Amino acid sequence: MAGERIAITVTVNGEDYREEVPATRSLLDFLRDDLALTGTKEGCGEGECGACSVILDGRLVDACLVFAAEADGRRVETIEGLADGGDLHPLQRAFAATGAAQCGYCTPGMLMACKALLDGNPSPTHDEAAQGIAGNLCRCTGYGTIIQAVMDAAEES
Amino acid sequence: MRVVGQELPRVEIFEKVTGQSVFGADVSPGGQVLHGKMVLSPHAHARITAVRTERAEGLPGVRAVVTAADVPAVRYGKFVRDEEYFASTKVRYVGDRIAAVAAVDEETAEEAARLIEVDYEVLPAVTSGLEAMEPDAPLIHDSYADYWTQPSVEDRRGNVCNHKQLLRGDVEAGFAEADRIFEHRFHAPMVHQTYIEPHTALARFDASGRATVWVPTQAQFPLRDAIAEILDMPMTKVRVIPTEIGGGFGGKISPTVEPAAVALARKARGPVRIVMGRGEDFQTTNPRHPFHLRYKTGVKLDGTITAREIEVVLGTGYSSGSGVMISQGAAVRAPGPYRIPNLKIDSYCVYTNTPTCGAYRGPAGPQLAFASESQIDIIARELDIDPLEIRLRNAMEDGDETPAGLPLKDVHVRETVRKAAEAMDAAPRAEGANIGRGMAAAHWLVGGMASSAGVKLNEDGTFAILTGLVDLSGASTSLAQIAAEVLGVSLDDVHVRTADTDFAPHSTISAGSQALKSMGGAVLLAARDVKRQIQQVASDKLEADPGDLELGEHKVFVKGSPERSVSLREVGRSALEHERGPIVSTQSVSRLIPHPAVAAHAAEVEVDPETGHVRILRYVAVQDVGTAVNPLSVRGQIQGGVMQGLGQALSEACTFTDGKMDNPNLLDYKIFSALDAPPVEVHLIQHPCATGPLGAKGVGEPPIIPPPAVIANAVHDAVGVRIHELPVTPEKIVRALQARRAERQP
Repeated sequence: MAGERIAITVTVNGEDYREEVPATRSLLDFLRDDLALTGTKEGCGEGECGACSVILDGRLVDACLVFAAEADGRRVETIEGLADGGDLHPLQRAFAATGAAQCGYCTPGMLMACKALLDGNPSPTHDEAAQGIAGNLCRCTGYGTIIQAVMDAAEES
Repeated sequence: MRVVGQELPRVEIFEKVTGQSVFGADVSPGGQVLHGKMVLSPHAHARITAVRTERAEGLPGVRAVVTAADVPAVRYGKFVRDEEYFASTKVRYVGDRIAAVAAVDEETAEEAARLIEVDYEVLPAVTSGLEAMEPDAPLIHDSYADYWTQPSVEDRRGNVCNHKQLLRGDVEAGFAEADRIFEHRFHAPMVHQTYIEPHTALARFDASGRATVWVPTQAQFPLRDAIAEILDMPMTKVRVIPTEIGGGFGGKISPTVEPAAVALARKARGPVRIVMGRGEDFQTTNPRHPFHLRYKTGVKLDGTITAREIEVVLGTGYSSGSGVMISQGAAVRAPGPYRIPNLKIDSYCVYTNTPTCGAYRGPAGPQLAFASESQIDIIARELDIDPLEIRLRNAMEDGDETPAGLPLKDVHVRETVRKAAEAMDAAPRAEGANIGRGMAAAHWLVGGMASSAGVKLNEDGTFAILTGLVDLSGASTSLAQIAAEVLGVSLDDVHVRTADTDFAPHSTISAGSQALKSMGGAVLLAARDVKRQIQQVASDKLEADPGDLELGEHKVFVKGSPERSVSLREVGRSALEHERGPIVSTQSVSRLIPHPAVAAHAAEVEVDPETGHVRILRYVAVQDVGTAVNPLSVRGQIQGGVMQGLGQALSEACTFTDGKMDNPNLLDYKIFSALDAPPVEVHLIQHPCATGPLGAKGVGEPPIIPPPAVIANAVHDAVGVRIHELPVTPEKIVRALQARRAERQP
């Protein structure tokens, strides 16, 4: 279905991408299909599971609910940019150590939610950590190890 | 032990935390990938009078449309051959497959799906297992009597596709011996696995007539066989490549969209990907069976159970699927982890106009335990016996038999139950009104399936494990720990990744808590054989008897003289020149002996009598795990299982109106979020099990089984009302409290 196409420039993990996208393309499809950044996952396409969480200009969003065109001129952070070169982010190390990733499908979105949380609140309480990941569903861990990882990473940074 | 028993991070963890893991929808085969879309029945029960595909086929961008006419007329099913992949004459549930389309993009595929016209003659439908057993219920399979069945399938009549009866002792004599007899009915609704990764498959059909399917599956070998059977292809013309899997919980065993993807790829001459939307996933996959249960139990005044008569009605959905097997297993586990001399158990597997249910984690377990353990709690209260005491009094022990006559060993019911009570009692009850505590115990029988694995020594002194076992919850890491333990190296020196159906030796499926038991057994044998080969090659170098050689710290050394050593690297290289050649071993296991694995949980809850809201203040999970190969994985699996179980206890249910699911989305089908999740205190009971690799027991199923009963019992303790139907919702609690008030003020 040919629709209107829009030229956009989006900064993803510090790199600028200029692309033409259909007006209705979601940011999620843009990342996964146009930029081949498949670390961000789709779980429901309706903004209910959080698997597609990315950070847009410092705010946590569900990439399935944002049009790619809305990201024009803005900065997007995804799981692919979380590690600083070869150095893992403290959250990534804490997730590995506590067993906060089991199947790993919610993990990229969960990590971005945790990063957004710590960016805004470097030393959250247990309840604040739970609140920070409340929009991200995980079916494997029961959340306890994820909250532990957030607390451990907060302590480390 | 050096490596086994250590809390080590998973071998693939860095791929997972960096977004590099390749899940089902992330696979890229190169070239243009077509978008596939299923066309599904909107009716729960209807005759198909016509299917017209011309308009869809004529839409620009459409590359293939397939219907029942494009696949062989194969009727399949492991226990009863009652399923056809595309419906030909009749649809039997909302979601039954009519056709599939492939197009250049998603929008075109969706438009093409809408353009397929189907004429239906709608029939009356039935979605409850109990109602489907009524003599005047609509018959879901008109010609059921002609279907092929396995010999274990018994007593089929109308919509009943299996009736399993188990008898032990003399149930009437047992009731005559009892001082009190209790009879209750319970209901547990259909619930869904709700893995976060929806079903997806990518299929390619090459010029030589071979199909390759990339799919997140728990069961790559059975899936290969099923695709071949459905499409009537030689088995080895189908290659299944398992991707990383974003949760399965028993929902990714049976075929769903894979045969359609292959049929489309063959017709379109190009790769086709189908990704289910969340709504489609809720409505067309393999959830947990709804159960209607009747428990009648005779007891002495001291709490000794003399007899139990149990009736289980399991709604299997539009086809038997795994329902026959699960209804048979339900009969065996229905009495709970107790020694009961007189039993009569009837378990019915009944067709309904709903999705075919599957083997959701701990199949039949939570439903049975909800009924059985609720009733044990009722009995304890009526007889004024402590809930712990009544369980200890009746607990099964080594030497007891299952109702099917299988003798049990490594049974630790008493210790597990006692520990749960002790851990809960370690802190005083919270202060305030409407606080209650409850407990429940359950067991799972961990079987095993034929498996083979290879272990090889690389020329740099590291090892690789060759296995087709899909890693769901840490199995690869545990396999590597077992091999590292035997071979005297660290986890980093053992490489393991899952190979596909073409290149892996046959593997068990990743389900039923038996993956590590089965594949771990094969890896253990292979590692031990590789060790023998290493000792043989090293013995020439060290001029010592192979029996005097030990492995450790990447070396082979002479017992008592560690300075006489040779590195594994040197052994790996010199083996190529040695008469024995490269060091590798492939070993197999089969006919594994089942062992019981016990879980006992306890909770403290606070119930708001105005709103019916249940707040879990504390939750204790104790599990009999044998040797915990990796306690980090074991604890993680238990915590996750508890949380799924608590969802079933408090909020989850697939509900239907006129055969259509009311809540096929994550807003209305409520799984626990981080805000709902209580901390879970886990205690492991570790006694090495004789029938598990290095003493390990199965872990995955038991933790999901007790929570519904634990919560129902705790809610009763808190506010005095008994909920007999899951989930224990605020609405049910408030209604029960209102009914009680009305009763007290006549």
